[in-house]
Amino acid sequence: MKKAITLLLALAMIFALAACDANAPGSAAEVTRENLKVGMVHISELGDQGFTFNHDQGARKMIADLGLSMDQYIPKFNVSPADITATKAAIVELIDAGCQIIFATSFGYNVAMTESAREFPNIIFCHATGFDAHSAGLSNLHNYFAKIHQARYLAGIAAGLKTENNRLGYVAAHPFSEVISGYTAFYLGALSVNPDVTMDVIYINSWGDARLEREAAEALIARGVDVLSQHSDGIAPALAAQDAGIWHVGYNNDMSTVAPDASLLSPRIDWGVYMTFAVQSLLDGNPLPVDWGTGIETGAAFLSPLNTAVAAPGTQEAIDKAFQEILDGKMIFSGALVDNDGNPAQITNFAGDVIFTFTDENSYFVESDVYSAPSFNAILKGINIIS
Amino acid sequence: MSKPGVKTSHAGTPFVWIVKRDSVSRKQAYLVRAAAILGALMLGAALFLAMGHNPIMIYRDMLTGSLGRTLARTETVRIAIPLLVTALGIGLAFKMRFWNIGAEGQIIMGATAASYFALFSGVPGPYLLFVMFFAAIAAGGLWGLIPAVFKSKWNTNETLFTLMLNYIALEFVRYLQFGPWRDPRLRGFPSIAMFDQAARLPRVFGVHIGWIFALILVAIVYIYMKKTRHGYEITVVGESIPTARYAGINVGRVFLRTMFLSGAICGLTGFLIVSGANFTLSEMVTGGVGFTAITVAWLSRLNPAVMIIFSLFIAMLQRGANAVQTTFRIPSSAADILIGFILFFILGCEFFLNYKLVFRKKVK
Repeated sequence: MKKAITLLLALAMIFALAACDANAPGSAAEVTRENLKVGMVHISELGDQGFTFNHDQGARKMIADLGLSMDQYIPKFNVSPADITATKAAIVELIDAGCQIIFATSFGYNVAMTESAREFPNIIFCHATGFDAHSAGLSNLHNYFAKIHQARYLAGIAAGLKTENNRLGYVAAHPFSEVISGYTAFYLGALSVNPDVTMDVIYINSWGDARLEREAAEALIARGVDVLSQHSDGIAPALAAQDAGIWHVGYNNDMSTVAPDASLLSPRIDWGVYMTFAVQSLLDGNPLPVDWGTGIETGAAFLSPLNTAVAAPGTQEAIDKAFQEILDGKMIFSGALVDNDGNPAQITNFAGDVIFTFTDENSYFVESDVYSAPSFNAILKGINIIS
Repeated sequence: MSKPGVKTSHAGTPFVWIVKRDSVSRKQAYLVRAAAILGALMLGAALFLAMGHNPIMIYRDMLTGSLGRTLARTETVRIAIPLLVTALGIGLAFKMRFWNIGAEGQIIMGATAASYFALFSGVPGPYLLFVMFFAAIAAGGLWGLIPAVFKSKWNTNETLFTLMLNYIALEFVRYLQFGPWRDPRLRGFPSIAMFDQAARLPRVFGVHIGWIFALILVAIVYIYMKKTRHGYEITVVGESIPTARYAGINVGRVFLRTMFLSGAICGLTGFLIVSGANFTLSEMVTGGVGFTAITVAWLSRLNPAVMIIFSLFIAMLQRGANAVQTTFRIPSSAADILIGFILFFILGCEFFLNYKLVFRKKVK
């Protein structure tokens, strides 16, 4: 009898919990400066001093630019993109906490963001580095990025001028177009001032993991590179370069404080440029573009100050010159680029079909044009994928 | 090092030893449990005070954040579903004292089998979910069967065996995710494609239909354990293997049969997660459910009906902890510490309800 009662009670409890209609949380009430809440899903914590720190800086800049209070910015840290249930739960919690607009920082949130956008049509979803918005057909799902390849190209100039043995190393996250576009731009920047330069790349198959980043950096150093760069979220490669007495080009954050003798400069993204624009648009009732990506012309992509104590003489002048060329319309991915087999380099699309071939000197590929996320994914001659 | 001839007062007597209690009245037991939860909440309160927050406000927000709003309630139920189903599966094995720590792996294999049919089979829409359902059950069951075969043939240690099988299953999914199942549409990014609409479970009252599966399964497991010969055999094997043998029970067969069922139910969890919540497979498909469910099973003393309550309780804690992380901006680790306190106190008090410590008496 007692068991039966327990069972009944438990059934009643779960039914009471489940038997409520769950439609339309996040109602279509008008968004005002007062009731505005901005949610943000972060992949890591501020302590990474890299990607998450930088994205958080963008949010803070947006709050300051728009004169909002910090209570109106609700961040969620350490949300693993691979854990889709957890990501969706984090998004639901942000909506539950009153957020009308949600930013997610990492590519791997694509599934959770697209699903949530479908489920909550009154909430604005802005997904950094993703490319689903273009084809999702959802008016509340947006992708944003910066033309970071421009800043990486400029940073590559500093590396190309500094290297003494013409060997660069690159700690890369995933074998994925965003990463390939980035290191290729870096390499082309170096090549533009140093035609003998080559680059070794090691993938860590993670966006950020201090141990993996360190191991990859040390493996590259052991191979003899003398300038190291990275597309990974942390500072471990900078520290490895500092310890080994070689030079380093960072990402996301100015790394000259943690590696003062190694750090030349860092290509950076100012996420605040987009976040301010997006939140202001929401307040003004203006629709957001499906894809948004600007570069050095708006400051969305920029360089940390050159560490002149370390950099080769003439570096700043060379960077400034190239900066102006980009403003004047120079394309980073241009010319008769060839792959490691000596064939014209080719860019492929999702399905693996070739969408662009660098046939001659006049070829150029407009990066981050249709999709804000980078598309360039050819492996050029001179770039050696180690693992 | 005592000198010969000099008698030490406590030679051979340990300082403290553990003695099984005779019995504790039901009322006493509930009082002790209530005190344990209160103790955990107070310790948590001290932690939040030290962090400069008002603990009462935090606890209030945990409640409203897990039960107070429709969205919160549906989330809580959604977290509870895989916990409940997995606890039911593990409970079967635990009842016969077969320590199945391998629910994670069984969930993963179930999820993987279901995902295979969702992604690659081309089974027509109306039948797809049924095929996924049975594929998940079969895969989870077979994965659970492996340690049972080794246990009944060679008497291997099932705790280690099931634990190790988790890592094999995990690495298998990683291999699929980074290799053959990588979605080509993602320009090289290692993740698996999303399921079509036909491979997704419908919703009832705002939560995927898995909650109905779970409740039906509670009834089935309850009847199976209490009213069938199989359930009786499981209990006898759990009490004493020699007794079971003496009574003519084929112990090996009970191991095999029960572990298949245990794994199959965990495999069902995998199906519910991929088709009800995630709509894709990833290396973190389980979200640790296979381990948390052990706590649920244990707190419920393997009683299927009580598992409903404790799976909801743990789901409330997780959901509430996440909610206060958002509203109070406390790090997620602080909320996790609170969950740890509560579980530690509850499990600790179960120990003290069954055993007492007897200290060495001073010899005059």
